[in-house]
Amino acid sequence: MNDLFQNINWLILAPFLVIQAVLMVIALIDLIKADDVKGPKGMWFFIVIVLNTIGPIAYFIFGRRND
Amino acid sequence: MQWVTMFQKEMMESWRNKKWIWVPIVFIILAVMDPISTYYLPEIIQAAGGFPDGTVIELGDYAPAEIIMMSLSQYSTLGVLLIAFLSMGTVAGEKSSGVSELILVKPVSYTNYITAKWASLFVLIGGSSAIGLFAGWYYTVLLYGNLAFTTWLKAILFYSLWLLLVISVAILFNSLVTKPGIVVFLTILSVMLLSLLTQVFGHILTWSPVHLSSYIQELLLTGTVSDKLFGTAFVTIALSIMLLILSVYSFQRSENR
Repeated sequence: MNDLFQNINWLILAPFLVIQAVLMVIALIDLIKADDVKGPKGMWFFIVIVLNTIGPIAYFIFGRRND
Repeated sequence: MQWVTMFQKEMMESWRNKKWIWVPIVFIILAVMDPISTYYLPEIIQAAGGFPDGTVIELGDYAPAEIIMMSLSQYSTLGVLLIAFLSMGTVAGEKSSGVSELILVKPVSYTNYITAKWASLFVLIGGSSAIGLFAGWYYTVLLYGNLAFTTWLKAILFYSLWLLLVISVAILFNSLVTKPGIVVFLTILSVMLLSLLTQVFGHILTWSPVHLSSYIQELLLTGTVSDKLFGTAFVTIALSIMLLILSVYSFQRSENR
């Protein structure tokens, strides 16, 4: 496993990881500011943090109230 | 003039819904995922235990064009799913929540209402996928070798027509039914049926929109736009416009009932 981490050029991977983090942070900020979401807020917090990429997308599509 | 107002309202709405932030990010992730993971595949396999001695598996060197096609095939599967989910609420949601009635009380023409939604959706998805595929192209050039920017540009212009068709299908189902979930289901189903039909009758339907991606692969490899690609592009645009006219018509009928 150590080999894997040494062989990877982190400069290549970093933007990809950063953008995933940005997506998560935006979803979290939106979730905190939201007055009302579909379903319990705590559940969405959990989903957004635990499920990488899929979680924030799911929140924006299913959790967010758009009106 | 009214159309511009409607269009601006739609754009404003997708900005407020943060769609202009998260949709481009998701399309970037979709486009960049495969180039990176394919590049590190040998390391990942090694780390996962490696092959038993004596196994010979050619991981091979990939041409830049093949890597771009990987990103495009992600768009054709997960991207289509995302488009279906993004579009499910535009008309159907407004119909079931009563917003569309609120808007149509004013002298807003049905044509403007539908086409403004269609156009704003296309700008959002077309723009996001262009940004995403640019990131994919950047990684391809960085990791696999050069691919002319102009060739890439031609490829995404033709690929955006496929997205246009999917959006038109989604808008049509939006105008037909009121349940957003059913819009998603019917959109995915009809895209699947179209590709099934093309696989079965592929030799006759050489200009079927489903062939777009294989002709784009040719374009990426050779750098020239073939006649077949032009024909397919024409059919795709014509089909999208037909679907759009049909959506306006069916929306008009459902509202006047």
